Amino acid sequence: MIRSWLREPLVHFLLAGAAIYAALGWWGNPVDPADRTIAITRERQAGIALGFERIMGRPPTDAEMDGLIDRWVREEVLYREALRLGLDEDDAVVRRRLATKMDELATASAETATVSEETLEQWLAAHPERFAGGGALSFDQAWFAGEDTARRALATPNPRGNPISLPRSVARMPTSEVRETFGQQFVQELAVLQPVERWQGPVPSGFGWHLVRLRERTPGKVPPLGEIRDLVEADWRNATIAERRERAYEVLREAYRVERE
Amino acid sequence: MRGTWAVLVACSLLAACNAAVSDTADGAQSGDGTETIALGEFPDRPYWGDTHLHTDISVDAFGFGVRLGPEDALKFARGEEVTATTGMKAQLARPLDFLVISDHSDAMGATRRLYDAPRMLVRDPTLRRWRDMMHVSPDQSTRAVAELITAAANDEIPEALRDPERQGKATRDLWDKHLALLDRYNQPGTFTAFAGFEWSLMPDGNNLHRVVMFRDGSAKTGTVVPFPGIDTKVEQLWDYMDAYEAETGGKVLAIPHNSNLSNGMMFDLVGPDGGPMTAEYARRRAAREPVVEATQIKGDSETHPLLSPNDEFAGFGVAGWDLGNLPLTHKTTPGMLPGSYIRSALLRGLTLEQQLGVNPYAFGLIGSTDSHTALATGDEDNFFGKHTNNEPKAERAMAPQNLGTRVGRFGWHYLAGGYAAAWARGNTRAEIFDAFMRRETYATTGPRMVLRLFAGFDFEANEWEGDWVRAGYTRGVPMGGELEDGGKAPVFLISALKDPDGANLDRVQVIKGWVDANGEAQERVYDVAWSDMDGKRARVGGKIPPVGDTVDRAEASYENSIGAAELRATWTDPDYRAGQRAFYYVRVLEIPTPRWTLFDAKRFGITLSPEALADGVAQERAYSSPVWLRPKARKQVGDAPMIMGKT
Repeated sequence: MIRSWLREPLVHFLLAGAAIYAALGWWGNPVDPADRTIAITRERQAGIALGFERIMGRPPTDAEMDGLIDRWVREEVLYREALRLGLDEDDAVVRRRLATKMDELATASAETATVSEETLEQWLAAHPERFAGGGALSFDQAWFAGEDTARRALATPNPRGNPISLPRSVARMPTSEVRETFGQQFVQELAVLQPVERWQGPVPSGFGWHLVRLRERTPGKVPPLGEIRDLVEADWRNATIAERRERAYEVLREAYRVERE
Repeated sequence: MRGTWAVLVACSLLAACNAAVSDTADGAQSGDGTETIALGEFPDRPYWGDTHLHTDISVDAFGFGVRLGPEDALKFARGEEVTATTGMKAQLARPLDFLVISDHSDAMGATRRLYDAPRMLVRDPTLRRWRDMMHVSPDQSTRAVAELITAAANDEIPEALRDPERQGKATRDLWDKHLALLDRYNQPGTFTAFAGFEWSLMPDGNNLHRVVMFRDGSAKTGTVVPFPGIDTKVEQLWDYMDAYEAETGGKVLAIPHNSNLSNGMMFDLVGPDGGPMTAEYARRRAAREPVVEATQIKGDSETHPLLSPNDEFAGFGVAGWDLGNLPLTHKTTPGMLPGSYIRSALLRGLTLEQQLGVNPYAFGLIGSTDSHTALATGDEDNFFGKHTNNEPKAERAMAPQNLGTRVGRFGWHYLAGGYAAAWARGNTRAEIFDAFMRRETYATTGPRMVLRLFAGFDFEANEWEGDWVRAGYTRGVPMGGELEDGGKAPVFLISALKDPDGANLDRVQVIKGWVDANGEAQERVYDVAWSDMDGKRARVGGKIPPVGDTVDRAEASYENSIGAAELRATWTDPDYRAGQRAFYYVRVLEIPTPRWTLFDAKRFGITLSPEALADGVAQERAYSSPVWLRPKARKQVGDAPMIMGKT
């Protein structure tokens, strides 16, 4: 339970918020651009000296410290002026980078999380249409180059048709494969035929004309999870990533009122 | 602002924690697909795919403007609707069975990173200018990439982009994420997602690019990163491939493409250093590069009218592309052509085999798109352009192309792209990859005609009445195979079935290449089956009357009132000579149909130039991989030059 809590994007955002407050507390109060006073507190001086020491391996001399403080003040002045000009608010690059980062933060856990059988069972039950496939067809067919010859052959008990490299008889061929083999038009025509034990047609296709004995139309069925576990897991993962991204956004979005002029 | 950076810090900390607890499931989707689905006894259908597709992690594609990434590309290829970068809804009429996303290995993801980088951090003046251009407008962005490609061709890429160390970490992160995505979309039996990249060597602007394609899932492909093309040699690419296989037990192959833009370098008679080709080079090339991409958006490389003056169908997809190399920095001269086209390369292979004992150019054929839009479109009525800047819009057909600043190439020179067909026993990484390795593949310029080819010595004219596919596999070899000379003429079983949703077939041809008794390479085109061959199209003085033309130019439509649904032939080589070294491949021609330019003209109400209009109708086609006929007594490598005179 705690693990799954840890994966929640909302928790991440709260943690991120806590981290921000902690960081700000350490660095001092947020800058008010209107404030014209720059205070060099003892903590600030210690921080500057520490930074120098980390790089140089010794504390700064007094002269060096003065120089460091001057540089810091220069940065701070320009920084505040930049804020005053609103430069931080209109930087498309910074905006986009942060937005992307937030999206990734919300979804990183979903890309790698282990998923339980129970979750996948529920996923499969909730989205049968994604795994059912388009059903299958069982039929015999005879192909004719011309419509008239096909029509005449319909009167014969067992029409043979002309030679062509198409299967004469198929059993439970997935509709997607029938479409690939016989073409779009043929599948559309077959969709309106009744499965009966006699030859029907002529049915047009991209190849010409067919007489068809439609034996069975098998509706799309959802296989058990065991057979399509990887498929379900991948689908769950892809959808969860997208959903978490959206949900995380919505949580944040709710706190805003957008006014458009 | 300070708060902003704190958020960044917090985010990266959290992201690191998330990464640390990763435990990706290792299921059927993340391997090579072995034993995941039931397989037929023989390959029972061609599987359709694109092995050459670029997305927003390609350095040039992003610059051209594409904002669709690998996930969009996968969704689109498996048949879903996506929104193209320019805002249009895009969907394939029929899904593909497999896809190789082949983003450029050089500076992978770098333009995307450059675009996103704060300007002040981009110090290199050239990079900074390109970054700015990318932000200005799509046109400027395209121009920036044209400059980048020219810089690559002239070996003037800024250091920051070419340094593998500096790009290394970024590439690692990107590649790992990419491989995980591919595994998630790989569905054995339904849709195969291959890992791959494009190795883009281009000395002096001469295109020597290869697509590299892996057979394996992320457990193995994650042990490497894409191999850079700039500043490397093809032998180093093969070293990389050798090392990958040795270390992981996996498999990898490379697919040369756009030989038509190589100014004769792709299929050279000499070695890459200009010295004589060695047997070792030939052996490695043949082993590493089993198939070549024969046709794609940037033209068709089968043959050139100057190389095949007796082939009346030789000019397809040549116009514009034969002016020069890829960026048009150097013009093409006629002497370069044999090294740039596939038929002449197959002929060179026979000659080199005589000299070296190994044929470096014994390759099979595929087609692909080379689309830079993340959209693997191959149909004339659904062409989404070479790159984002020429996604459907009124100007694109007549606009000069971005590549190369010299005049001569226009939008209408683009083909709508081709596809690869692989005869396999099932749709898995292993099955389709292995079909590529044994060259049981064919190229089409987009349509999905079903092409079978078997070669043997004892096929009968009436094989068609029985189980001829079984006969083909058990008593002969399929396309891509080799026959050893048995002292009698080879017999071929050829069947071409039209695309069920496409145009009828005009004819089926066998193209034979051989080395004659004087050691001269020869070629000949045989018409072996055509529509109405016993009726109104009976041969007249050795020639077959044209199939006709039903295309309505203004309406961009045609009628299947001419041509045939299927063409079959049992064909025996009438010019067989014992001991002859030869190859045979099949070319299938559809009846004339409108090209994408006519669909554009109707859709946008534009007027094409007379040249473009004349080029607006074409006979789309398929090229099978060849079958080779080899002399029986094959001597050892060292002895090979000795038998030259006898052949």
